[in-house]
Amino acid sequence: MTEPLVLQPKLDLPAAAPLAEALRGRLDGDVVLDGSQVTQIGALCLQVLLSAATSLRSKGHAMSLTNLSDKVVEQLAQMGFSPETLAEGRG
Amino acid sequence: MSDQNDPMAEIRASFFIECEELLEALQDGLQEMEEAEDGSEDPETINVVFRAVHSIKGGAGAFGLEALVRFAHRYETVLDEVRNGVLHPDSDAMKLFFLAADHLSDLVRACRDETPLPEETSEELLTRLDALLGDEGGAEEVAPEDFQPMGLSLGLDLPDLDAPTANHFTIRFKPEQELFATGNEPLMLLRNLCDLGTSSVRCNLADLPALEDLAPETPYIEWLIELETEAAEPEIRDVFEFVDGLCEIEITGAAPEQGPTEIAPLPEELSKALPEEAEPEAALPETLEPQVAPPPTTAGKSEERESAKDTGEARKGGAAAAKSVVRVDLERIERLVNLVGELVINQAMLSQSLDEAGLSPHSDAMNGLEEFQRLTRDIQDSVMMIRAQPVKSLFQRMSRIVREASAAVDKDVRLITEGEGTEVDKTVIERLSDPLTHMIRNAVDHGLEGAADREKAGKPRAGTVKLTAAHRSGRVIIEVADDGAGINRKRVQEIAVSKGLIPPEIQLSDSEIDNLLFLPGFSTAKTVSNLSGRGVGMDVVKTAIQSLGGRITINSEPNKGTTFSISLPLTLAVLDGMVVNVAGETLVLPLNVVVETLSLGPDDVQMLRPGHYVVRVRGGFVPLYDLGVMLGYRQQRKTEAGAIVLLIVLEDSTRAALVIDGIQDQRQVVIKGLDDSFYRAPGIAAATILGDGQIALILDPADVIAGMGHMRGADLMLSERMIANE
Repeated sequence: MTEPLVLQPKLDLPAAAPLAEALRGRLDGDVVLDGSQVTQIGALCLQVLLSAATSLRSKGHAMSLTNLSDKVVEQLAQMGFSPETLAEGRG
Repeated sequence: MSDQNDPMAEIRASFFIECEELLEALQDGLQEMEEAEDGSEDPETINVVFRAVHSIKGGAGAFGLEALVRFAHRYETVLDEVRNGVLHPDSDAMKLFFLAADHLSDLVRACRDETPLPEETSEELLTRLDALLGDEGGAEEVAPEDFQPMGLSLGLDLPDLDAPTANHFTIRFKPEQELFATGNEPLMLLRNLCDLGTSSVRCNLADLPALEDLAPETPYIEWLIELETEAAEPEIRDVFEFVDGLCEIEITGAAPEQGPTEIAPLPEELSKALPEEAEPEAALPETLEPQVAPPPTTAGKSEERESAKDTGEARKGGAAAAKSVVRVDLERIERLVNLVGELVINQAMLSQSLDEAGLSPHSDAMNGLEEFQRLTRDIQDSVMMIRAQPVKSLFQRMSRIVREASAAVDKDVRLITEGEGTEVDKTVIERLSDPLTHMIRNAVDHGLEGAADREKAGKPRAGTVKLTAAHRSGRVIIEVADDGAGINRKRVQEIAVSKGLIPPEIQLSDSEIDNLLFLPGFSTAKTVSNLSGRGVGMDVVKTAIQSLGGRITINSEPNKGTTFSISLPLTLAVLDGMVVNVAGETLVLPLNVVVETLSLGPDDVQMLRPGHYVVRVRGGFVPLYDLGVMLGYRQQRKTEAGAIVLLIVLEDSTRAALVIDGIQDQRQVVIKGLDDSFYRAPGIAAATILGDGQIALILDPADVIAGMGHMRGADLMLSERMIANE
């Protein structure tokens, strides 16, 4: 199993491009994301994650999100997602 | 139940469960209509009746049960005329309505069990129903668009969105790239929006490309927010004030008078992204996640939900409507009951071992144990309450039996029920159905006289059968009473003699003659009617009642009627028992029959004749039986002086004194049924496991004493004479 990808604390506009880049390199296998350091998640990084999840799933791989803080889970909920729906790339 | 993995099968199953409730409401409503004096009935009653049929039709339509739809539709058409005041049903019409309701329930069951439908009866009833409408009704066939889909209530409690001042808005919000570039985040806006009221946020991902094609800084997603709020549209626009021009905003509002449950149409653009024809509600969960349960989509649906609710609450008043209900698989409850049974046994074992350890009754362990016992009992009671059901469903079935039976013998019979809310163990209710059916038929067929005879006796032409249920001292009493001629005791005795059931010269008391009815092979009907009178009647009833741990008694007065009383234990699982020793055996007696314990002095016992004794108790004499002898454990002893005696009083107020060797304890015991492979010993009801793991037999005192046969009657007579002589 590959090493978990540790997500940045602030997943805002500047974080979106590097995150997309990092995920593009991992589309050939299951991806585990470690969200333990995340404090804030923005819409652009959210859509990167969603897109990655959909792409992975179409290739038969899975994405999982671990160690999200309650605060981040709440932010996701306000945008209409749960960690599970996000990891599956669906609303 | 059908395949649990098939969602349609589940919905179908819950439709049939709902049908049962609707049918119950239908029966209730018809009953109320029938009871009401002309024109005095609550106009809501006919609405309830109408809606029950209508809802069944709607649901049946959704599942393509055409025969059911067809019948319900034409039944409903007639009811609609009644509702509109065009048709005033007379008593014949009411009878027809009842028949139609019975038939509707047959159809529902046939559809559920996928058994052949009784088409002929349908036709006959429909012809009669159509006849009520006169010329215009009749041939009208059900048009497919005539019925609306029915709201299946799947236990989903929808939030009450019916706040008087609430506005409903649908907001589409699509951020543009500049929004992010200026340091804004959709999260903040969504949060502020949600603060205005109750919201449901969904995200549309339709435009989101695969990761390879994604430009990370370009927004592709849009949000759709359903907002219930007291705020007006300008306040919503204010939320987006600082991102004006940086995003697409569309606000569609629905004023409250359009119905709070109505969802505004989706913005055109979004609608296009969704599969065609699918309802927005059905399509959205694929791509969008609602954060709160969506409200029902159409006004039709909510009306149907309302009606289903109405029918249930119509008779119970507002408070009952607030009850929420969970449907649980019976198997799970059985498992829980068994586990609690084991808990009781385990607690008894623990209690015994603590006793044997010689702990002081005031020690912490013993105090803790007492608390444990109390809790166990509470748990037990609560579990039993889960199993308990009101006898209403049973009584409703009986009203159908009365209708059918009275039609078959051409008597006019009214059924009055009381205590429908009385709760009894589910198993008891199920197993009571057959005996009760038999008793009701008997009452209609044998109990009540024909109309002519009734008039001669100065009674109303229509006979009355009264079915009541009540809780009395830890037992359930169910009574079937008729206001007929009463038992013709002379004839009963003649028949019993002619059938060789009793010797011709025997003198019997009234109650003993009445009890002859329970003898196997007894039947008084001069002719065998198609209802009863096959001579397999009351003895079967008695056996069925006894197998439930119950007792049946008769009370009859000439020209006033006959009452059959069934007394049943509340539960079949536990019993408050007195643990006693007899000839080295441990036995359990139901505590509720024991009224007194005595120790016999030398002068207390008097001999009637060899082997037959009575004991003097408070100036009266009570027949004395040695349990050890009765159960065959030992020979009759020369004297009973010094023995311990339990004074018991049975359901029929018979008193008896039982000689035992010692009393061990009073405790709750778990009833373990004896397997069919055991010989059914007279006087033995069941068995239990005691705290030390020993098995003890549970006695049925009435059966033990009944086993003494006619000796009892003779003894009682003698003891009465002795009192008279004193």
